[in-house]
Amino acid sequence: MKTQEFIESGILEAHLLGLTNQEEQTQVRQMVESDQMLEEYVVELEAGINQYFEKESVAPPEAVREVVRLRSTRDKKARQEFSNAENPDRQYLDVEVNDTHIKVHKFWRPAFIAVFILSKIFLIAGLYYYFKTVSQEEELQRLKLQVEQTK
Amino acid sequence: MNELERISNAAGPQPILKPERNLSSLEVYDQFGAMAYGIVLQIIPQPHLAQEVLVSVFASPLLQSCNSYPFSYAACIIKLARAKAVEAKKKLTSLTALEEDNAPFSGAPTPQVIFDLAFRRGLTPDEVAVKLNITKSEVLRSFHDFFKTNGNA
Repeated sequence: MKTQEFIESGILEAHLLGLTNQEEQTQVRQMVESDQMLEEYVVELEAGINQYFEKESVAPPEAVREVVRLRSTRDKKARQEFSNAENPDRQYLDVEVNDTHIKVHKFWRPAFIAVFILSKIFLIAGLYYYFKTVSQEEELQRLKLQVEQTK
Repeated sequence: MNELERISNAAGPQPILKPERNLSSLEVYDQFGAMAYGIVLQIIPQPHLAQEVLVSVFASPLLQSCNSYPFSYAACIIKLARAKAVEAKKKLTSLTALEEDNAPFSGAPTPQVIFDLAFRRGLTPDEVAVKLNITKSEVLRSFHDFFKTNGNA
């Protein structure tokens, strides 16, 4: 289709007003991309359409601006929270947890077992040497008595 | 899915006429709020409903897609405002069961009438063609004539 025919077909106006289907949108894009004159025409046409709608513009009440501001702030906050949840490098927050349990690294399990076994070994060794010392002292006393009796 | 939705999903075309911009909702509202309100009022004349639609236009996630819209920002706002207003009007008419759009048309299909049916009443060019008993090409050509006679193009 020639440029002038394309311009007069009205498809550009329909496209800028959002009245074209997907196929027509693709056609418009391809034509505009490939034709410098058409590109310039679209810029002029956009300005013309904007001018038409600007003439029809009506100032909305001030309250609407406030609602838009609040909505956009709320949405921005929601998006920020969502992106924080998505970000793996996020910082940990200091949160007070009302829980009586703690979680420790799994290496603490063999360490606890080793400490428990060693404590039992030391306990047994301690008791063994205690009773050995006691019996040795008794033996010593007994021998001393024997020596005194033989004198 | 319309063109703005495709751009929003990054599956749409890349800008060909305009560089990428990044305006906040409030900046866009300050710049194009009055124009968008005018468009919405043309489609939904009730001010309270039009204001609700206006808020939905500027709170829409599709507004962000206007930052990468291949044509002008204003063109994107026009498209978005019309789409939202037509959507709201369709919901409204389905609730109130108005038969306004199904009424047979009598009179000459002037560019003004065709523009009103397509842009303000939310009919597709195909529906307008059927309603007025003309071809789709004639409907599209009327848009060109409409802006030409209005001295804008």
